[in-house]
Amino acid sequence: MIARYVGRRLAQAAFVLWLAVTLAFVAMQLTPGDPAQALLAASGATEQEIAERRAQLGLDAPLPLQYVRYIRRLAQADLGQSWLHSRPVGQMILEQLPATAELAVSAILVGTALGMALGILAALRRSSWLDTAATAVAVLGLSAPTYWSGLLAILLFSLQLGWFPAAGEGDLRHLLLPSLVLGFALAGSIARLVRARVLEVMEEPFVQAARARGLAPWRVFLVHVLRPALPTALTIVALQFGFLLGGAVITESVFARRGLGKLAVEAIIWRDLPVVRGVIVFGALAYVLVNLAADLAQAWLAPRLREELA
Amino acid sequence: MKRLIPILVLLSVLIAGCCDPLPPLTPTSTSEPFPSSDFTPTPIRLVYGLTLAPSGIDPHVNASSELGIPLTSMYDTLVYLDPNTGDFVPGLAEDWDVSENELVYTFYLREGVTFHDGTSFDAEAVRFNLDRITSPDLASQKASFMLGPYERVEVVDDYTVRIYLSEPFAPLIDSFSQVYLGMASPAAVEKWGSDYQLHQVGTGPFVFAEYIPQDHLLLRRNPDYAWGPEIYQHDAALADEIEFRFFVDPATRSPALETGEVDIMGEIPPQDAGRLAESDDFRIEAVPIPGVSLMFFLNTTRPPLDDVKVRQALLFATDRQAIVSTIFRDTSPVAYGPLAANTFGYESEVQDYYAYNPTQAASLLDEAGWKDTDGDGIRDKDGEPLILDMTLMGWGYMPEVGQLLAAQWSTLGIEVNSPPPVSYPEALEIAGEGRYHLIPFNLSGSDPDILRKFFHSQASFNWSKLDDAELDTWLEAAVRTSDWEEREALYSQIQLRVMTQALVLPIRDYVNLNGVNDHVQGLRFDAQGWFPWLIDVTASEIQ
Amino acid sequence: MIKKPTPPSSSFSRQPVALAALAWLALAALGAGLASLLAPAGPLAVDTTRSLLPPGSNNPLGTDLFGRDVLTRLLWGGRWTLGMGLLGLAVTIGLGLPAGLAAGYFGGRVESVIMRLVDALLAFPGLLLAMAVVAVLGPGLGSVSIAVGLSAAPAYARVARSAALEVRAQPYVEAARALGGSEWRTIARHILPNTAAPLLAFAATQLGWVLLNGAALNFLGLGAPLGTPEWGATLNEGRGYLRDAPWVSTFPGLALTLTVLAANLLGDSLQEALQPQ
Repeated sequence: MIARYVGRRLAQAAFVLWLAVTLAFVAMQLTPGDPAQALLAASGATEQEIAERRAQLGLDAPLPLQYVRYIRRLAQADLGQSWLHSRPVGQMILEQLPATAELAVSAILVGTALGMALGILAALRRSSWLDTAATAVAVLGLSAPTYWSGLLAILLFSLQLGWFPAAGEGDLRHLLLPSLVLGFALAGSIARLVRARVLEVMEEPFVQAARARGLAPWRVFLVHVLRPALPTALTIVALQFGFLLGGAVITESVFARRGLGKLAVEAIIWRDLPVVRGVIVFGALAYVLVNLAADLAQAWLAPRLREELA
Repeated sequence: MKRLIPILVLLSVLIAGCCDPLPPLTPTSTSEPFPSSDFTPTPIRLVYGLTLAPSGIDPHVNASSELGIPLTSMYDTLVYLDPNTGDFVPGLAEDWDVSENELVYTFYLREGVTFHDGTSFDAEAVRFNLDRITSPDLASQKASFMLGPYERVEVVDDYTVRIYLSEPFAPLIDSFSQVYLGMASPAAVEKWGSDYQLHQVGTGPFVFAEYIPQDHLLLRRNPDYAWGPEIYQHDAALADEIEFRFFVDPATRSPALETGEVDIMGEIPPQDAGRLAESDDFRIEAVPIPGVSLMFFLNTTRPPLDDVKVRQALLFATDRQAIVSTIFRDTSPVAYGPLAANTFGYESEVQDYYAYNPTQAASLLDEAGWKDTDGDGIRDKDGEPLILDMTLMGWGYMPEVGQLLAAQWSTLGIEVNSPPPVSYPEALEIAGEGRYHLIPFNLSGSDPDILRKFFHSQASFNWSKLDDAELDTWLEAAVRTSDWEEREALYSQIQLRVMTQALVLPIRDYVNLNGVNDHVQGLRFDAQGWFPWLIDVTASEIQ
Repeated sequence: MIKKPTPPSSSFSRQPVALAALAWLALAALGAGLASLLAPAGPLAVDTTRSLLPPGSNNPLGTDLFGRDVLTRLLWGGRWTLGMGLLGLAVTIGLGLPAGLAAGYFGGRVESVIMRLVDALLAFPGLLLAMAVVAVLGPGLGSVSIAVGLSAAPAYARVARSAALEVRAQPYVEAARALGGSEWRTIARHILPNTAAPLLAFAATQLGWVLLNGAALNFLGLGAPLGTPEWGATLNEGRGYLRDAPWVSTFPGLALTLTVLAANLLGDSLQEALQPQ
């Protein structure tokens, strides 16, 4: 039952992965510009040298053949070498990964905690000014561009107040500002859906029954409010995972951190297809697995859904 | 409740496993002994902020100036250029001589020099380096061009090496003073292959300790260094460790300096420079960069810029002082010619050319037949409006300069079409195909031969699309003779020709504004302007 | 601690937040529309002698680096920003709605393929997807609008699918199908109107997403031609002067943030107000 469900989901995951890398291939082919020329232009290479490099990179083969090679390599778990740096793509991703993972996880923690707190608060005090205030604060995080809010945060908390370092990596203090900025944005999406879900759940007859039975309020809260709220938060996090991994390039730039976002942007600019493929594969894999985990967790937390799966 | 616990456990495992993956880089937490023979109570550690993280940092391969900032102190070069006297002084080569016909250069190498990996520096190492640089597989973007008409190298004996050229090449000694021709350890290059840029080994006062791409580069003091040139003020490095970090976003550079994240920060934006200069805790070291100023190349093969009157009109129509004051806050001098004013061979007469004169610009355009016949505010001729395509890259304040130019020229009925800024590879492509009227660039270099890279008809950066045989002859003659007076006269003619023909629109001389924490001392820059001599740098108090 | 929740206000007009949001959006649209009347000098009027002046009598919101009036650029910029948002939203709905409805209604293979495609697109970081689309289409605000619209479409498709699934289970839909006729007619006549509520609400929030990502692309240098007063672009230009001349970026930043905020709050209010009881 569960095994079959997981099996089915994994098969779907493989399909999604294939789709994602194919889309990446198509997108890079449609992008104007010749990668070999981009790589060699600065060295004043002759036409012939550029043509030789194209052949070396396999770019003069017919497109379907290029695609087959692209996919076959992937199936053999070979991410290949970057055209720009002549280094293994896998290694390049691993170098950038710790910083990205660190930022993503702390942003998730901050965002989930903040989002759930605001969402639950808004739901419990519905239609009061507290509801409006909490919702507005949550949505504010979603509404400001990070390259602005990030800079403002640096100027206020680093320069003016001296509480945190302005940039870089190293320890928890370096992580706080960027994860706050990124997490605040996440909190907004979480808060609004958590609020809706909590309101839904509180209307349910079994909650009313529990209260009528005289169960302690905190117990009612924990079991009947927090439990349905958590999976909602996890679902959002899972959906946003792709962004948190590869799309945080702005936060990385403002806070002078390395990361997959910067790696991906550079690869797109230089038409470095192996690196683009590597980042997409990594991101898609992570996205798919995280979503699967979130769905399973959700099923765990909501028994009715578990029966549905079986 | 029972089900929450496993999830929380999972989360905390994830956190514990992934957070804090790098050891904090503060001196108090480093427990490894520093390789210092002197007794220093606390290690001196500095953090230096760079700007763009270059896509590659092998000086034999890549061309960026960013890589030279740390690596100039990690490699030694055969000779050094004294920025004060303009003379070349011995480095790894104790002496050198040039044959009568200027085709053979013999270098007498210093003995007793070792690479950081313990291997010896000798003539064989020089041969290996030159072979590497000139091999087509390496696809060198700068180093091999700096060798000019290089033919081959010959090892005469253990400490004598001879280089043969097919033609005289005046800038050769200057080339050998730059990090791009720094001497790398053959053993290391062979050992690491394509990964060499992550494990570079030279002979300099600092050792290449660590490089994580996009993140940081770490240099450590070389305790065995004993062969520095006379222009270094110390025998060995004063600082123990220097860490380089990358700050892509200009708005965050000054805050990083002011909060103490970095001790030295390069390329401080002009608007932050004033504040830092006036502050008690920081100072600005403004270093003018020799070479080719920030200038727009005018595509002389594309109408209407094929008409010299129109090109000259553009120059008269540009209020360069306003650009320099508004965008650069007067931290840069206005440029009047293709060479920066502090480059050897600069012809100061160009300063008399093209003073801002919109009236003259208007009459030149009228003469060329461009008048506003339909009253739409844009000049036209034979039914074609005067619209210029401007290609811009996103750095060096090019977008701001472009906007101001467009505004200034619109008052004269010239319309500028400027799409969003493009990346470097795209710009090269556009330049190659000539799909522009105006495209800016600037490049640093201590020898005026840099002009040949832009103004020779066969040059790769011939962005004005020239085919001027006389100019070609002058450029080729100027590079072939070592007679300084001859060269100077030729470069004077070249610069004046460029300006009378209005082949480029110069904007400003590049000045690198370095923000420095006042406790840092001894920071000096070499003749290229970009590259600091880190051997003499220290901090008066330990942070 | 847990009181019985008060029933939601049934009348949309009684929610002050929604009204405020609507009012702001109307104001922004009005300002943008009347820009040529209110600020006839145009957003490109350069005067370098008046560079970076603080708000004053001549320039209510100050001037930027080139002496251009910030208020003028704000009003004119509204056209670009709101236009980009609406175009992007049109692309999002145009692509996401039919895909999601079809997936929810037809189910089976159709649903499987569509939703896997949606997943594949969602697995791409939205910013990278947008960059790739702009790289293919060439620079310009039009491309940026299409690109961000495209990257928001998968999320929209998902919501459309859930909505369609809920409605499809209703008895009247079964009845309509039993009566025969083309499937697409059924979708148009029964599914679409009944899913309008949540889809409209989500559209409002997606507007905010589209605007922000458009601004993000400007930061990365892909976007409007130079000098275009689009709010994200002017915000980005002013970042370098945040300490000396905060007004240059604060006002477009506020305008952008308030607009996105209003769109989000409006979406939330619509969701709540139109929810079937």
